[in-house]
Amino acid sequence: MKTVTVAIADTNQARRTNLERSLQGEQDIEVLTNVLSKEVEASIERRADSGTDVTEIEDVVERIGRLKPRILFVNLDESTGGAALLEALYRAYPETLLVMLTDKSAKDADILHALASGARGCLDYETAPSYFLKAVRVLDRGEVWVTRRMLGKIMDKVLH
Amino acid sequence: MILLASSSQENLSRWEPAVSDYAPVFHSTSLNSVKKELVRIKPQILLLDYHLPILVGSDGISSLMKLNPETRVILLTPPLSDEIEWSLFRTGIRGCCRIDIEPKQLKYVVEAVQKGELWIRRALSGHLLSELVVITHEKNNMKQGISDLLENLTRREGEIATLVGNGESNKQIARRLDITERTVKAHLTEVFRKLEVADRLKLALMVKGSLTSAVPSRMAH
Repeated sequence: MKTVTVAIADTNQARRTNLERSLQGEQDIEVLTNVLSKEVEASIERRADSGTDVTEIEDVVERIGRLKPRILFVNLDESTGGAALLEALYRAYPETLLVMLTDKSAKDADILHALASGARGCLDYETAPSYFLKAVRVLDRGEVWVTRRMLGKIMDKVLH
Repeated sequence: MILLASSSQENLSRWEPAVSDYAPVFHSTSLNSVKKELVRIKPQILLLDYHLPILVGSDGISSLMKLNPETRVILLTPPLSDEIEWSLFRTGIRGCCRIDIEPKQLKYVVEAVQKGELWIRRALSGHLLSELVVITHEKNNMKQGISDLLENLTRREGEIATLVGNGESNKQIARRLDITERTVKAHLTEVFRKLEVADRLKLALMVKGSLTSAVPSRMAH
């Protein structure tokens, strides 16, 4: 059985633990931890809202490069550098499948932008834990994790 | 308003219960009738049998859809290869399902498409997303290319190019900038040369950032 490696780039410890827990107990899924270094987390905590720091993004990208997960969940709020991080990751490791973690406030335009930048799916981190597992399975098969409504919007964009 | 189209009465009566919520429901049993009804009743949804005569390949379907672009088309098909099915979606259909689909399931498909959702197999959704990434990349490259070119213009040339983008004539531009029309023309000749465009319409589109790429994307065929 081939092992699917999964990593989670989220500065929020509680959310990360929650997600990790929902994927544990599966024999063929390996959850890689410590995607964000302690220094990055510390500097993110220190930083109020000073925007994206290029060195931090580079640092995360480099760490992901060492771990090379098959699937990477990325929280795209300001604390991780947002869309810029996603674009950098997609450019550097197109073989890693990126999933955007959002909350209820995520706007369609932001999700579309993330998908256009290379994300293979979008998931509300408050969703039922079983969906995380399902998403991993679906993505690993090469499919995407996007709502039908969003697929409609993507089609509109592709055709016009 | 909804239109069901198939040469098979059996299909039509099987689909009917799935769309009873969207009455009135019209039937077409020939391609000619579909064409007429599309224009006459302008249905919101068309359930179309892939086997309707002449309707082979995506060209047939796309010309049909031009008759009323507002109509959302759901195609009922035999099992198709991913490539063919994807090419059908590229013509603009909003859903695709097997011809022997259960009425209960079909009702669900119609509801989804009615809401603006896309009824596409999961296996094909990857194609769709890849296409979005490619197209976005091309658009960004083009925007970058255009802004690089625009940077080569002098301040005055840039000013004139922007005014052309706003649809102003040489005479209007001359008056606004308090220069002669001849000078405007001279500047424009230089602008055309630098931007490698042949006429003011292309220049206007370029300045407005809406000049679309002539390069077809990889999956367009």
